[in-house]
Amino acid sequence: MTDLRQQIDDIPVTLVILVGCITMAMLTDPFSPTSQQLREWGGLSPYLAANGEPWRLLSSGFLHGGLVHIAFNMSALMSLGPALERALGSLRFLLLYTVSLLGGSIVVCLSTPVDQPVVGASGALFGLLGALVAMNMAAGRHMLSFLDYEGPRRLLGMIGIYLLLGFLLPFISNEAHIGGLLAGFFVTLLWIRPVRTLTSLRPWRVAFAALLASLLLASIYPPVRSDTLWAASFQTTDLRRQNALRRAAAMSYFRRADVTAADVEAFYQVFILGKEPGSEPTIDPTREPVGPAPKRPK
Amino acid sequence: MNPTAARVLRKLPLAIVWLAVVWPFALWLLCRSDPELAVRTLLAAKRIGTQTGLGLLAVTLVLCLLYPPAPAGIRLLWSRMLLAVTSDRAPLTRAIAELEHFESAARHLEVGRLALVRNQVPLAEHHLVRAIELDDSIANAHHQLGLLRFRLTRYQEAAVSLLTALRLDPDHAFGDTLLHAGRCAFLLGDTATATRLLRDHERRHGGSRKSHLWLAETLQASGETTAATAALRYAAEPSKQRLTAEENWFRAKARAKLWGRRGGA
Repeated sequence: MTDLRQQIDDIPVTLVILVGCITMAMLTDPFSPTSQQLREWGGLSPYLAANGEPWRLLSSGFLHGGLVHIAFNMSALMSLGPALERALGSLRFLLLYTVSLLGGSIVVCLSTPVDQPVVGASGALFGLLGALVAMNMAAGRHMLSFLDYEGPRRLLGMIGIYLLLGFLLPFISNEAHIGGLLAGFFVTLLWIRPVRTLTSLRPWRVAFAALLASLLLASIYPPVRSDTLWAASFQTTDLRRQNALRRAAAMSYFRRADVTAADVEAFYQVFILGKEPGSEPTIDPTREPVGPAPKRPK
Repeated sequence: MNPTAARVLRKLPLAIVWLAVVWPFALWLLCRSDPELAVRTLLAAKRIGTQTGLGLLAVTLVLCLLYPPAPAGIRLLWSRMLLAVTSDRAPLTRAIAELEHFESAARHLEVGRLALVRNQVPLAEHHLVRAIELDDSIANAHHQLGLLRFRLTRYQEAAVSLLTALRLDPDHAFGDTLLHAGRCAFLLGDTATATRLLRDHERRHGGSRKSHLWLAETLQASGETTAATAALRYAAEPSKQRLTAEENWFRAKARAKLWGRRGGA
C-alpha cells in the first residue's frame, strides 16, 4: 500500500492536469469553441448531469471557453499547483483537486438555472486557494494567527477580489468558485492537513463526508427540480400523478405555490420547447432545455 | 449561560450540517408520495428561512436601540468567539505533552487552568480533579475547580471548592474566589453569607462592575435597598477608559436595573 502511494506520489499530477486541459482545448477549439462542442465534449449542464451523464461534474473542469480562459486558468494552475503538490504529495493533491472540482460542480448544479452550461477549471483552482487558507490556519499558534503575516493576508485579498469579479461579471460562474473554495478549504482542514484540536475531528469528518455525498446525490438525482419533475411526468401512466408532477414542475420553475393550468402550459412552452407561449408544441420530454451560451468560470 | 443551553449551542453547527445532509433525502421521499407538497415544502422552507433571518435581524436592531444589555451582550458574545479562535493553543498542548512524561498535581493544574481558559470544560474538569486527588492542599486547584463548577451552574459543589480554597489560603491573591463564593451563597439562598463574602471582597479587592452588581442583587434580596442602589450606581458609572466586554456587560445590566427603579444612570 505504501509502495503504491509512493508510486502515485511520483506522478506530476499538476502537469497531467495541465496536459489534460490543453488536450481537451485542442480537441474542441482552443480559440473559440461553440456551445455545441463544449456540450458534446462534457461541459457541465445540470440538466444532462441529472439525466444519466454525471461524469460531466468532472469533465467540465478540463474544458475551457477560449484561449484567454484556458491561458488564465493554466497560469493559475502552474503558479499554485507545483508548490502545493510538493507540500502535500501527489495523491493528496489529486484528492484535493478532484474534491474541489466536484464541490464547484455540485454547487453549480444546485444553484444555477438548469439551462446554464458551465466549463472551466476555476472551481478546482479556488479549491487550491481554499486549501492554502486552511493550511495557514492549521499551521499557526491559533486559527487566526496567519493574519499577522503579509503573504496570507494578500492571499485572502486575492480571493476576495476574484469573488467580487465573479459577482460583477455576468459570464463568470461564481457558484463554481464558491463551491470549489469551500470544498478545498474543508477537505484540507479536516483530512489533508487537519487542524490540531484537543477534541476529535471525527464527528465533523463524518458529517462533511455525508454532506458531500448527499449533495452529490442531489445533483445527480435532484429531488424537486422543474426539469426532472417534468421528465418524470412522462414516465408514469397514472394521470393524477402526471398532473401533480407537471404542476410541481411549474411551481418549482416559477418559485410560487399557486400555479394555474396556464402557468403549466407556459412552463412547457418556454422551458421545454424554448418557444413563446401559444406556439405549436411538439412533445419531446427528453429534449434538453434551450438556454444561452455556456457560462464560464474565469 | 445555562450549561444545557451552552451544550446545545455548541452542537448546533454540527446539527445544521446534518440537517443539510438529510434535507435532500427528505424532499426526495416527500416527492415520491406528493410532488406538489415537496415543492411547497421547499418554497415554504425558503420563505420561513428568509423571514426568520430578517426577523431576527430586526429584533436584534430594535433590542440594541432600546435595551442597553443587548449591544453589550453582542459584544461579549463576539469577544468570547474571538477568544475561542485566537487563544494560543501551544501552551495547552505543551502542558499536555509534559504531563505525559511525568504526572504531578502542578502539571495537572496547569493543564486544567489552560483548558478552562480555552473553554474546554470536560478536559479542564478531568485534570483539576486529578490535581486535587494527587495533592489536595493546592488552593489554586480548588479555586479553578470552583470556577469551573460555577460555570456549569453546580453551585453547591462550586461553593465547597471555593470555600476550601479560601480555607487553604486565606490571604490568597485571587479575588475571584471570594467573589464567586459569595455569588454561590446568594444563588443557594444564603444571603447573609453572600453579603459577608461580597463585602469582604469589596474591602480587600476594591471590586469591579460585576462584583458590585452581584453585591447589589444580594443587598436587595436582604432588604438593604439604599445600599443596593449605591452599589448599582457604582456598577453603572460611565468609564473614561474602554471597558472589557465582560465589565461592559455587567455595567449595561446595572444600568437597566437602575432604570427599573427610576434611579437613572
